[in-house]
Amino acid sequence: MAEPQVDSSTQQAAFDRYVVPEIEVLYRVARSITRNPTDAEDLVQDTMLRAYKAILRFDGRHPRAWLLTIMRNAQINRVRRRRPELLRDPDATMDRLADEDSDDADPEAQVLERGYSAAVENALNSLPEKFRSVVQLVDVQALSYQEAADILGVPTGTVMSRLHRARTRIRKHLEQSGAYLNGRPT
Amino acid sequence: MIRRRWRRRLSSEANCREVGRALQSYLDGDVEPDFAAKIGEHLEKCKDCGLAHSTYKEIKQTLADSASPADTDAVARLREFGRQISGN
Repeated sequence: MAEPQVDSSTQQAAFDRYVVPEIEVLYRVARSITRNPTDAEDLVQDTMLRAYKAILRFDGRHPRAWLLTIMRNAQINRVRRRRPELLRDPDATMDRLADEDSDDADPEAQVLERGYSAAVENALNSLPEKFRSVVQLVDVQALSYQEAADILGVPTGTVMSRLHRARTRIRKHLEQSGAYLNGRPT
Repeated sequence: MIRRRWRRRLSSEANCREVGRALQSYLDGDVEPDFAAKIGEHLEKCKDCGLAHSTYKEIKQTLADSASPADTDAVARLREFGRQISGN
């Protein structure tokens, strides 16, 4: 039996309508989850290819959520190909990888040298990956709880609890590193 | 989305414990308006809660300001890639 013919003009129009406007957001989110510009670009390309193939089955509702889910699946496949051991305990291993990347410089020295915003950045980078990624997506990239949940593959309640715990950790990290004097940013 | 548990809590005046639990949801605009008003009143009167609120607000604002502009070259390459995919 012959395969059903794909209407390429409809496919092209749907891609232009739903995917193209989200390219910049996709790239920002990809930067947050890969922490590497080259990997981010590859991940967005992979996401766009998958979206193009699936676009005629997309109902047109919530394109960003749909694309973020595609990106999440693409990222899982990429990690699986590169580092199969990550699948055994993704959270623990992602924490370990984040620790490998983290800056070992003395936090107090960094505050004095680079100021409050650098101290916040340092505090953010010191968080375990599952907390850091939620803060990156919601507070830095301004995604909604639901959009962050879509890309992370967790319920919105989990996004909220991780976000709240992450901010509390950032606050404590700042207090310990001397970023506040009398409770105010230095 | 406003969570159900913050809808129920409409006692005459919010206390420190209630405000502490709801503070970050309040910061994200994720509490019912009535309760948000009570939290706002409490934050004006209570020094400790007010300080906690301003600290979290400062952190949230600093994080938002840290978003670097998207790499325009990368975004341009991705747009071109999109054109190639869809044959434009």
